[in-house]
Amino acid sequence: MKNLIPYFTLGYPDNTKLCRFLDILPVEKINYIEFGFPSSDPRYDGPVIRKTHSVGNHNFSESVYSKYFDYFYRNRIKMYSLSYYSDIKDRFDEFINYLQVNNFSGIIIPDLIIDYFNDSKSIINELNKREFEYIPFFSPATPDFVIRDIAAITDSWVYYGLQPSTGIEIPYELDYTTERINELLPRREITYGFGIKTDEDIKNLMKNGGSGVAIGTYLVKMIDAGDEEGFIEYIDKMRGVLNE
Amino acid sequence: MITAVNRDIMPENWYNVVPDLPEPLAPPRDSKQEISSINLLNKILPREVLKQEFTFRRYEKIPDEVMEQYEQIGRPTPLIRAKNLEKYLDYRGKIFYKYEGATATGSHKINTAIPQAYYAMKEGVKGVTTETGAGQWGSATALAASLYGLPAQIFMVRISFEQKPLRKTVMNLYNGNVVASPSTLTEYGRKILKEHPDTPGTLGIGISEAVEYALDHDYRYMVASVMNVALTHQSVIGQETKKQLELIGEHADVLIGCVGGGSNFGGFTFPFIPDGDETEIIATTADEVPKFSKGDYKYDLVDSAGVLPQMRMYSLGADFVPPTIYAGGLRYHGASPSLSLLINRGRIKSDEVTESQVKEALRIFANTQGVIAAPESGHAIATAINYAKSHKNEGKTIVVNVSGHGMLDLSIFGERQ
Ligand SMILES: Cc1ncc(COP(=O)(O)O)c(C=O)c1O
Repeated sequence: MKNLIPYFTLGYPDNTKLCRFLDILPVEKINYIEFGFPSSDPRYDGPVIRKTHSVGNHNFSESVYSKYFDYFYRNRIKMYSLSYYSDIKDRFDEFINYLQVNNFSGIIIPDLIIDYFNDSKSIINELNKREFEYIPFFSPATPDFVIRDIAAITDSWVYYGLQPSTGIEIPYELDYTTERINELLPRREITYGFGIKTDEDIKNLMKNGGSGVAIGTYLVKMIDAGDEEGFIEYIDKMRGVLNE
Repeated sequence: MITAVNRDIMPENWYNVVPDLPEPLAPPRDSKQEISSINLLNKILPREVLKQEFTFRRYEKIPDEVMEQYEQIGRPTPLIRAKNLEKYLDYRGKIFYKYEGATATGSHKINTAIPQAYYAMKEGVKGVTTETGAGQWGSATALAASLYGLPAQIFMVRISFEQKPLRKTVMNLYNGNVVASPSTLTEYGRKILKEHPDTPGTLGIGISEAVEYALDHDYRYMVASVMNVALTHQSVIGQETKKQLELIGEHADVLIGCVGGGSNFGGFTFPFIPDGDETEIIATTADEVPKFSKGDYKYDLVDSAGVLPQMRMYSLGADFVPPTIYAGGLRYHGASPSLSLLINRGRIKSDEVTESQVKEALRIFANTQGVIAAPESGHAIATAINYAKSHKNEGKTIVVNVSGHGMLDLSIFGERQ
């Protein structure tokens, strides 16, 4: 089954409203879920997701979500944390423990190979030792050798951001982009994210060998509007497109 | 003159260094919390330029129409062995210079002005706008726009506007409209004029005005430097140089260029990066604008108003008002992110020279080679001369990029004593 990965920033728009959307999320339609732990400096996110972090930062309360983590785990949905290293570096062990205790499968760290490049391999090895998946996060600006090196020390799926940050629409060549990453990492699951919204986007990515898509910014609009029906319909539709 | 040899020397593709960098290039970052300045680029730059800014393609095909114009403005430019200079310095190696001053507008700037204006024209925009320091970029923009039938609005840093009045004549001759910046044409300019009526102006202010003007008039902004796309277009310089050296069986041991935003330097040296670490590469800045030694490597504003996204680069701060040196093109507070990364990693070294060293170097170069180089290029020449003096007997081949001629900057010499 292709991966459909909805993204939610914890605590946005508030704990109650977010829980409502988590309650109605059709679990049979998704296989992974990505939770953003609110960052004080979500530097590689676009304005929509940045807003969810600043709001989430105020609201986030651990206790609210543990039962959801448990619920998704029991439903065999793999959970991944989206966390900025700048936020967790001072309590890294503690945070990874917390994720493991709550049955998360792994972590996506958007600033790791950009802002902490020299330390990145040792951090990834540390996660490997703990048997916690490090999800390589690449973008078109990641040099080839970095993609190869990081891929070589990990074996999870790869998160490929198509845009320089979330919710941005810079023109790019989809075919060339997918071709390049496929060539660099044959036989690796590549899940695409950043700026994906239409069926057409998804169809093309899957046609070119993608293993799934992550959707964030687009969901925020529905969450903002409290559009529960639209949300369920959208997840349903995306699953349909992925299955084609 | 177009000969088979010319076409052999000119590359068919531009070269983009991003995929060959030793670590990932930090992406641009929004300058304001609520809006996306990255998305705003969709309204500021021609689509194709924007695409090339964010591309990771190592090679980008140069459109035929652009190749034709490159030939019209004098590409390939000459690579000349500076034998007289070698003799004068009693240097036991070879010194070559790549002479971008031989283009029609007198500097390397035309190499990116042509494709940017071309893409703007193809997209049917109303006109183009930009800032200019010394006036070299403004001249290139005016000509390129005019070649493609587009009006050009140019914001010229006030101090240069006053120091170099003939530049305005040149831009006007190429059908460009020029105003001193800060100007009354934009809200940002009016604000600065009110707060600092005597400001000499900065490139950062000029960029802000041009970007505002582009947004308000459905024009597109032409990127002089700093951004990746400009360095990519400028790669014709380095690729030609490589080819020219190859044709005469030479190999560069040392490459030297000057840095304002990094476009002539990146264009000249980056095509040598994939070849490994053998070639020593030195970037010269003005001692008065010591971005690599005194600046911080951090995210900073590209333009003073903060309309454009921030970039991670060496910077003295966007509000840094540099001394009014003649090399207007080197007064910029930052430097291109890819160049900054390579400097930070130690792959590229930096040097700083003072205006008086530059004047001396320009004199020596004029006396030995007959070329009156631009004050900006004089920085690279000064570093090359110092290098030759301190490595006299190592037999190294030094190649220096002379990014422009200085025929309109003669006031730097004042009255001859
Ligand atoms: C002749 C010349 N050289 C160098 C520069 C510096 O710009 P860059 O570092 O982008 O090449 C300028 C800029 O105006 C210039 O006119």
